[in-house]
Amino acid sequence: MICSPVTDGRGEDCKRVMPATAETYSLGAPVEIGKIEQELKRLWQDGEGAMTRASLMNLAVYSGKPGSLQNNTQLMARITENHACRAIVIEADCDADDDQVSAWISAHCHVSSVGSKQVCSEQISFLLKGGCTIQLPSIVLSNLDSDLPLYLWWQEEFREPMDPQLWTWVDRVIYDSHGWSDFRSQTRLLESMQEEANQRIVLCDLNWTRLDNLRFALAQFFDHPASHHRLTKISKMRIDFAPGFRSSAILFAGWLGAQLNWHIEEVKSLGELRFIGASARHIDVELRERNGEPVHEVALTSDDVEFRVTYAHCGDLLEISRTQNDEKGIPQLMPAGNNDPVGLISEELIRGGPHRVYLNALNCVRDLL
Amino acid sequence: MNRTADQPEPNPLREGLSARPVPQPCSIVIFGATGDLTHRKLVPALYNLAADGELPPGVVIVGFARRDKSDDEFRRDLEESTRKFSRQPVRDEIWNAFAQSIFYHRSEFGDEAGYKQLATHLEDLDKSHGTRGNRLFYLAAGPDQFESILKNLKAADLNQTCEGSWARVIIEKPFGTDLASARELNRVVRNSFTEEQTYRIDHFLGKETAQNILVLRFANAIFSPLWNTHYIDHVQITAAETLGVGTRAGYYEDAGALRDMVQNHLIQLLCLVAMEPPTDLSADSIRGEKVKVVRSLHRWQRSEIAANVVRGQYTKGAIHGEPVLGYRQEQNVNPDSQTETFVALRLFIDNWRWADVPVYMRVGKRLPKSATEISIHFKKAPAVLFNKDLRDLNVLVIRIQPDEGISLRIHAKVPGTSFRIEPVKMDFHYGTSFGKPSPEAYERLLLDAMSGDATLFARSDEVEEAWSFIDPIEEVWHAKKDAPELYFYPAGSWGPEAADDLLARDGRAWRRL
Repeated sequence: MICSPVTDGRGEDCKRVMPATAETYSLGAPVEIGKIEQELKRLWQDGEGAMTRASLMNLAVYSGKPGSLQNNTQLMARITENHACRAIVIEADCDADDDQVSAWISAHCHVSSVGSKQVCSEQISFLLKGGCTIQLPSIVLSNLDSDLPLYLWWQEEFREPMDPQLWTWVDRVIYDSHGWSDFRSQTRLLESMQEEANQRIVLCDLNWTRLDNLRFALAQFFDHPASHHRLTKISKMRIDFAPGFRSSAILFAGWLGAQLNWHIEEVKSLGELRFIGASARHIDVELRERNGEPVHEVALTSDDVEFRVTYAHCGDLLEISRTQNDEKGIPQLMPAGNNDPVGLISEELIRGGPHRVYLNALNCVRDLL
Repeated sequence: MNRTADQPEPNPLREGLSARPVPQPCSIVIFGATGDLTHRKLVPALYNLAADGELPPGVVIVGFARRDKSDDEFRRDLEESTRKFSRQPVRDEIWNAFAQSIFYHRSEFGDEAGYKQLATHLEDLDKSHGTRGNRLFYLAAGPDQFESILKNLKAADLNQTCEGSWARVIIEKPFGTDLASARELNRVVRNSFTEEQTYRIDHFLGKETAQNILVLRFANAIFSPLWNTHYIDHVQITAAETLGVGTRAGYYEDAGALRDMVQNHLIQLLCLVAMEPPTDLSADSIRGEKVKVVRSLHRWQRSEIAANVVRGQYTKGAIHGEPVLGYRQEQNVNPDSQTETFVALRLFIDNWRWADVPVYMRVGKRLPKSATEISIHFKKAPAVLFNKDLRDLNVLVIRIQPDEGISLRIHAKVPGTSFRIEPVKMDFHYGTSFGKPSPEAYERLLLDAMSGDATLFARSDEVEEAWSFIDPIEEVWHAKKDAPELYFYPAGSWGPEAADDLLARDGRAWRRL
């Protein structure tokens, strides 16, 4: 359930709409920039008893796409069901002639898994016009819920200048590299941003997150020590990916390369590359573009065994199977996770720590991206 | 929590994917497969693990029981109960895949030939399902069957494994009924399995909040300096339930609340609250610290027991407005039963950290609400500034169930011109803060056993030390002469008045739940 619209920023309206399942996503009550905290306080005071405010982080979302405020509000309503936060949703129209900032407050509420209280996350929405570069850091920094980490979901391509005033405050920056037009320049910007932040900022690529379940499924084949030797005998790999998700497939190959100490030896074509592993062993990789999930099938060949992870017919499950000498073992099903933004962000938000494995994977295949 | 010595080198592809030890393929053989525990807890837990992708490929479940049943019948029964008791709704496609790994093995527990056949069955499954010779035996049968099962497992060489494989046994409580029987049980277990192979399950330890006690204590520097006799006035541990004895009268009549709850669950919780920081998070470091706490529990003289331990039994009353029977009127209960359904204890931990800090424990059936909580009551601030003695202490409450979470009561000034001070509560609810539902305790514990992580399982010396604390109380209660009184309390009340007196004598009161 969502507590919006909050037409006047007061609890009465908020409580009135809470029992209903929301189908529209309003930005809530317009507020003066200087009175946001005051109005939020009023919102919670009026809802006291019926509502509990919960927050584990500041989750700021930045987009330059017209209409993104509404779309992201809708996403936030779903994300906050599982991740209590202060949401700071920003739409920027940097090309507008006049500098202008508008703000709204609202709350996303759902029934707690225990008890009957509504658990609510607050949202502050901003529409920035004109001098976005200057406005953005001050808007974000002045509206943070204190003592909580700042996660910044950047829905745009990064562009210069990268304001150090903002980035040094960010704990995790979330982005999706699959749509980047120039991977190298974007990576360079990210690296300079990390430098500004003394390397403390954690890079969270949703393009990497969407591989989590596939990686998990494939890794399971090699848990038992008796199967470890198979890793050293991998000779072939095939990755099927959907149009537009070549970078996801390459990242997947990069993951195996980095974890198993392979290095790229040759790029034969867009769909074929070759790694070289220990003892000069070759690993041929075939990348096939097919309609389906972003990465919908991976097959590894090690001697006479093929390990395969593929999307099951029901869509949200992965089928994993091991075939030896053309004899297929009993397939197992595992969750495939959700590839929609809410699923990916939720997956990302429950993580902690740096993505060292991601950075290694990225470095392994950076020249191919 | 940590990788143990017998665990293999990590799989490089696992890096960054999971912080926990990796469970390994295995056959899980459940003795007592047609019983309640299997249907209500074990198989639903395994299904949930499968649905969450936590169960590794190559796990099979073999139900071992006396009744005649085919694999398909067994699967159908389990499907029905899993649909009823699973934490998450059962999805047909996942169940169908999961059910392919469930098998039934009919045998009497005492029939040696049945175990030989089981060994052959497991070897076949190793080949067909890749269980790799790993065996996890779950003793969900009655404790009277343990010895027979364990002996026969040994006779069939099922306690032995080839190199690179393992065999483990999970034992459900009760771990004996007194020190002598616990030692005997440990001896019987040791005849077949080593201590490292033995996992004594206490589902309280699988609960998220119980595990969080260690995090709260050792990952938050603010509590560490206060966690001792200088700042803590007393500790209370309450395990209350609204339920009566239900269908467990046969067991409960002999056990009673002290053996059923205090010897295991409550003492385990106390250990987590009172233990010293372990040197690392390995199973033996943690269990080593826990056992020191049990060893330090002050043993009362026989003459002191009546003054420090109160037992009670519920009479008829009302729960949630509904009339309920008294214990002696329940089915299969002796009308003159002396079994306690309530216990309150005042105890001390005789060590440097906890000297003179009383710990009050109470556990009971048919109490007004179901709740398990630990509360740490801090000493009063000096009453020199505010011209009054502050009525309430700072209290840190760790809620184990339901509504798992932590709250802290502090004092605050009431807004206004006068200097009025009132207690306020800061609350943390797991359910509110983390959207992800906590796994059931059995899910966590089964996964740990498959991973070879014994941290959340009781070690034999912990069990024996706990019995050595409990036994003198039981002996006094069952003495023919001068046995302390069994107090009665109406169902729906917070126990007998004598339990309140236990604290009132020290100028304290039970926390209002």
